[in-house]
Amino acid sequence: MPPTTEIAATIALLGNPNAGKTTLFNALTGGNQRVGNYSGVTVDVKEGTFFTPHGRKLRVLDLPGCYSLRADSPDEKVAVDALLGKLPGAAPPDVVVCVVDASHLERHLQLALQVVELGLPCVLALNMVDVAERSGLRLDPAKLAAELGIPVLPMQASSGKGIVELKQALRFPLPHAATATWLMPGTAPEAARRSYINRLCELAARRSAVHQFSGSDRADQVLLHPLWGWACLVAILLGVFWSIFSFAKIPMGWIEMAQGALGAWVTSLLASGDLRSLLVDGVIGGVGGVVMFLPQIVLLFLFIGLLESTGYMARAAFLMDAVMAKAGLSGKAFLPLFSSYACAIPGVMATRTIHSAKERLVTIFVAPWMSCSARLPVYLLIVPLLLHENEGSWKQALVLFFIYALGTLSAFAAARVLRGRLGPDASTGHFLLEMPPYRMPQWSYIFRHVVERAWAFVRNAGTLILGISILLWALSTYPKSSGGDAADQLAHSAMGRVGVLIEPLVKPLGFDGRTGTAVLTSFSAREVFNASMAILFRVRDGGDKQTTRGMLREQIAAATWPDGRPLFTPLSLISLLVFYIYALQCLPTVAVVARESASWRWALGQFTFMTAFAWCASLLVYQGGRLLGF
Amino acid sequence: MKLAALNAAESGQAMTLNEAGVGCDLRIEGVSGPGCERLREMGFCEQSHLRKLAGGRNLICSMCGTRLAISRELAEQVLVRAAG
Repeated sequence: MPPTTEIAATIALLGNPNAGKTTLFNALTGGNQRVGNYSGVTVDVKEGTFFTPHGRKLRVLDLPGCYSLRADSPDEKVAVDALLGKLPGAAPPDVVVCVVDASHLERHLQLALQVVELGLPCVLALNMVDVAERSGLRLDPAKLAAELGIPVLPMQASSGKGIVELKQALRFPLPHAATATWLMPGTAPEAARRSYINRLCELAARRSAVHQFSGSDRADQVLLHPLWGWACLVAILLGVFWSIFSFAKIPMGWIEMAQGALGAWVTSLLASGDLRSLLVDGVIGGVGGVVMFLPQIVLLFLFIGLLESTGYMARAAFLMDAVMAKAGLSGKAFLPLFSSYACAIPGVMATRTIHSAKERLVTIFVAPWMSCSARLPVYLLIVPLLLHENEGSWKQALVLFFIYALGTLSAFAAARVLRGRLGPDASTGHFLLEMPPYRMPQWSYIFRHVVERAWAFVRNAGTLILGISILLWALSTYPKSSGGDAADQLAHSAMGRVGVLIEPLVKPLGFDGRTGTAVLTSFSAREVFNASMAILFRVRDGGDKQTTRGMLREQIAAATWPDGRPLFTPLSLISLLVFYIYALQCLPTVAVVARESASWRWALGQFTFMTAFAWCASLLVYQGGRLLGF
Repeated sequence: MKLAALNAAESGQAMTLNEAGVGCDLRIEGVSGPGCERLREMGFCEQSHLRKLAGGRNLICSMCGTRLAISRELAEQVLVRAAG
């Protein structure tokens, strides 16, 4: 029979986290999977196709990992909805392939039995049999199949063993739904399942010894040690930060060069006018300024992927649990908050693994206070102004450290207050975390993950950020002034007029209307502040970024109020820094928070609160400082 | 408390997982409390064998070849007896 292009059936891959679903998914589909981001749902269900040995095309869904079908976290809910055919535009799967880790049958079989109870045809993929047998487990797949009444296929998805046999098992006619023989009238399903699994494991998965001291145990003796464990954690985190900031510089330079070259090329093609200005300043400048952060995001996800894939992330969450508890959060909130130092967007998305809905909301709420990399250009502009050049870079580093510490401590304090206000959870979500054995990183999986995230970021830059850039460009271009330079034009534009309007609002913080306008423009993205300040303070382009930043710094230092007082005193600079630490000036983050919390109210509330808090904190710093005579 | 746990372990009495000593091989006698459903999903079921690997703020146990970190609140809901 020739291969058909029509999809004959849908297969769903289901299993506990770490059972190897995604490895199996990739082994089945090769390179033709795509991410199906179902609207309104927070977690991705991967979708792909493959052909059976008889040439039939099957669709395969990779569902998020879950421990049961009770669905008490958002990713578990997606899996259950997919099984029941509740996802928009998707029917229930024709066959469910339950992927279980052969070493942990006692736990993983629970989920498989629940699928059989749902009345769905089921195939059991007994994954990682090599590891199980090395650990002394004696498996009998044939007996398991006979007992359960479903096909059981031993395999090793990471090396491609058993894939052909699985495809054979999915030939037509597809397997029928089995009967849940363990369910007895008068017995709770939970207890019935448990005793059935105990019996099954005694028959078909016998352990030679209960406990063995593995290599992972030896590694954990150091990595979870009360002293060495912390030393390793700090070293790893510092290493990740250092790498993100230093390695990303090189590709960021390329993007900047490409952006400059593209701008120059468009400038040479088009006559001077609004269209050229829109393309060069609005589109290329606006989108380029955001795409610039792509290398950092790629590196961050690469490191997160590495830490997760090797199994270290669970150890980090375990160690950090005590620290996070001080803020009323659990160790699971550590990864999202840590990611937020690079960018709040992946940080907010990483909160999906948190079971407790309230803890998740609180983590999302405070994540933007972890100083992200977009604030760094602003800090790098302002901090040297605070200190004289000859005061040494270590003092600048110290100030930077304090900036990061202030943001972090404030986030923790806010989390504690908010957690107290939201009250205890309806469902208990105490800390319970599986520590997977250490494994070599699965590079293909990590790279796929990084590419998916990077693509999502670029897509966002091409749509939302492009729109905002065009809007900002229009606001700062129209209405047109009759003549004069860029600064006059900006003063005459809608944006400039808004700046004049908001001067009374920012004056108590120690800023003039121009700085206020620059702050306002940076609500689309913080790093826009530097570009706006350069235009507003009439700085020529100095060729490269550092020269321009140095010239801008000189201009700012020399700027005065109309009465001749210097515009920026150390106090007003600190006030400006404090504003940037606290304000949520990032529209993409607001959009992601709205999606992840499924509530625009929460997102807008967060935006309003953080802006108001930033304003009050700046006011307190500036006016308090003046009262104290600074 | 430690002495009581030691006595309990020696006489084979049931105790909570918090009370059990580090390094002990244990058998689960009962799981009850608000978090028991989640505990059962993760494999904390009656008659399961486990070894307590570390105490402290969160405990680490090894069970069926898996290592699990659980909070003291949850460990309080797991009743164990020294495995003979």
